Amino acid sequence: MSKEATVLFDVPGPRARARNMLLTAVVTVVLAVVFAALIWRLYDKGQFEEKLWSPFTEWTVWRHLLLPGLLNTLKAAAVATVLALLFGIVFGLARLSEHWWVRVPAGVVVEFFRGIPLLILIFLAFFVPNKISPAIAESSFGQLQRLSVDYFFSIFGVESNAGTVTVPAFAAVVFGLTMYNGSVLAEVVRAGVLSIPKGQSEAAYSIGLRKNGVMRLVLLPQAITVMMPAIVSQIVVLLKDTALGFIIAYGEFLQAGFKQVPANYENNVLQAGIVVAIIYIAINMSLSRVATWLEARSRRSRKTEAKTMGTAGPPPAAGVGVGEQTVPTI
Amino acid sequence: MFDFSPFFDNFDEIMQGFWATLRLAAAAAVLSLIIGTALASFRVAPVPVLRAFGTGYVNIVRNTPLTLVLLMCSLGLNDILALKFSDTSSTTYYWWAVLGLSAYTGAFVCETLRSGINTVPLGQAEAARSIGLTFTQSLRVIILPQAFRAIIAPLGSVFIAMIKNTTVAAAASYAEVALVTKTIVDKPTFANGVIPLFLGVAIGFLILTLPTGYFFGWLAKRMAVAR
Amino acid sequence: MTDSESGPDLTKNGPEDSAPEPATAGDRPLVVVEHVNKHFGELHVLKDINLTVDSGEVVVVIGPSGGGKSTLCRSINRLEPIDDGTILVDGKELPKEGKDLAKLRADVGMVFQSFNLFAHKTILDNITLGPVKVRKAGRQDSQKHAMELLDRVGIANQANKYPAQLSGGQQQRAAIARSLAMKPKVMLFDEPTSALDPEMVNEVLDVMTGLAREGMTMIVVTHEMGFARRAAQKVVFMADGQIVEENTPDEFFTNARTERAKDFLSKILTH
Repeated sequence: MSKEATVLFDVPGPRARARNMLLTAVVTVVLAVVFAALIWRLYDKGQFEEKLWSPFTEWTVWRHLLLPGLLNTLKAAAVATVLALLFGIVFGLARLSEHWWVRVPAGVVVEFFRGIPLLILIFLAFFVPNKISPAIAESSFGQLQRLSVDYFFSIFGVESNAGTVTVPAFAAVVFGLTMYNGSVLAEVVRAGVLSIPKGQSEAAYSIGLRKNGVMRLVLLPQAITVMMPAIVSQIVVLLKDTALGFIIAYGEFLQAGFKQVPANYENNVLQAGIVVAIIYIAINMSLSRVATWLEARSRRSRKTEAKTMGTAGPPPAAGVGVGEQTVPTI
Repeated sequence: MFDFSPFFDNFDEIMQGFWATLRLAAAAAVLSLIIGTALASFRVAPVPVLRAFGTGYVNIVRNTPLTLVLLMCSLGLNDILALKFSDTSSTTYYWWAVLGLSAYTGAFVCETLRSGINTVPLGQAEAARSIGLTFTQSLRVIILPQAFRAIIAPLGSVFIAMIKNTTVAAAASYAEVALVTKTIVDKPTFANGVIPLFLGVAIGFLILTLPTGYFFGWLAKRMAVAR
Repeated sequence: MTDSESGPDLTKNGPEDSAPEPATAGDRPLVVVEHVNKHFGELHVLKDINLTVDSGEVVVVIGPSGGGKSTLCRSINRLEPIDDGTILVDGKELPKEGKDLAKLRADVGMVFQSFNLFAHKTILDNITLGPVKVRKAGRQDSQKHAMELLDRVGIANQANKYPAQLSGGQQQRAAIARSLAMKPKVMLFDEPTSALDPEMVNEVLDVMTGLAREGMTMIVVTHEMGFARRAAQKVVFMADGQIVEENTPDEFFTNARTERAKDFLSKILTH
């Protein structure tokens, strides 16, 4: 029991301490009752039966259903992370450009992708190419379409079949994740570079460096230290968002755990949900732990005077603007 | 390819989808504020059990995909445990979507409120106590007003994210605009109007999110406490 | 030591309100600190402190940093709780919590090193807040009294500004006016000028000297030796959590008794 005064509470005296202990007892009882009611309801519906939980102890289930799903999740997350970082750096720097014809379009693109739900972006990649590719194939862009699919997009599994392009769920998910998180990372990069104290760039200019050199040699290296925790936080968000692939039947972890296992094993949806949730939480908490460690380390290493961008989250949404402590958006 | 007529043929459906989105967002906004305030008060309470409960809740929710939360609501709680809200499936799906989205967003509202309280310097509380304000008076007159003004911008971000997150309710079979889009595109008669369709949906969301963002930004600037 | 030539008496009862009980003058000390001890974890920050402050007396507490001066000052209105010993304010023991503590705090004014004006309220609101919310005085009367106080401390024209718009010296004077509006029996000053730019220190010290002349009981933690010589009746020298020496200002600065005090004074150049 802390004896320090906080913003909300004064140092507790003996009466306050007694009252707190009473509250503790009452709350514990209430929570226990609610918990018991929940357990009873589960028991009543037969959710504690062995057969509903045992699939998760069998290795075959893990080997054939769950681990492949987890692998697919990590695959999509890894590819999307790399692409999103590229997108973020390119567009973040573009938004910092002195030329309005670079800055403004970049801004429009970034705000557009941030303002639309991620699921719509995924749908966009999943449904649109399939529907419009026949029309394009017959038009003057047909050749371009065929070549780009054969030589570039095929890496992601996109296929072209007599002019009709099919985009697999993996590619659609990666597209959506890249565009959305790339836009958020663009804002992180922009905020990171802007947070470097002005004195740094002023000193760099004054020794004769030009914009390119200032950015490359002075600002970006410091900005990276500043941005690391925020970037890792965004990766956590990205990982969670791979679960949206469920809706277009991408075989990621949620799909495997929540649809395939129950389908094969007596519809143990609740149990599957709990197991899947535990694994997601474990992975994400570890990543967040890495982010916090990075933040603490960079605060100690003092490679830059700028304050690290907190793990609290990305810059505020479009239009909100004011640079406050923010919260993750998804 | 840029034929807009299929878009307008299905306009009613699309509008219904947006209406469903709005209903969900509005209800979830109110409920998540309530849940978030309660959670924040738990996390700052002088009772360790409440603090642990609040922290546990937030950590679990923040690290779980919203898709999973909503699926648990619709498939797990609704189907398996048979906790239903009403007999009509659409109403039930609506309320489960509201509950799931609010339970999820509430965790982020809680964190925003907590960070707001942390922006208030301890000296303000000390000064309030030293002129004889009681506990409730200090909170009501000095601490909470300042905390509230600090969180307007971050709260705006949370709400914009929630508006976009309503689309995830498609996983829970709630007929908001993403699910409607998917249904329209899957129709065999629907051939060419994909681009206008998505353009329309995108613009619809921008209409929802951009003004909200500017409003919260403006409000935050107006109410900012100069230090 | 009341001097009748200075300006309007700030401590005279203002408009009709639920006036605070007047301090019983003279027949018993206003603040009594007896055998007070406090620990911060392992650190023993207050060691068996004994101090008496009479009504109308101005006591200056000086000493090296970390000596416990601020902790002692803040423990008198229980912003810092003590581990053992007693603190009596106007004959009553310091309450530990709740409404009693709030009532006592209303009678003990405090001026902070970092001013701590309420950032979201105007200067005028800062000053009327205490009287209106705590003493339940009327708004009009409180505002009138507040303007008089602002006038006395010299910032009447800043009444409708927000604290962030004022300079440090102005903010501190406003903070003093805020404390005075509660008509306290005793005022605590925790290094009131340490956070100010040098050119603003004097305007605050002048206000404090004026208060001293009018008979306010003051306990001042400060490094300003000039103020101690001018306005104090008693100088208390604290180091390492103990009161090392207690003396009148003249005696202390010219003829300190203990080695520790002499050592400290020799390090202060011209004061």
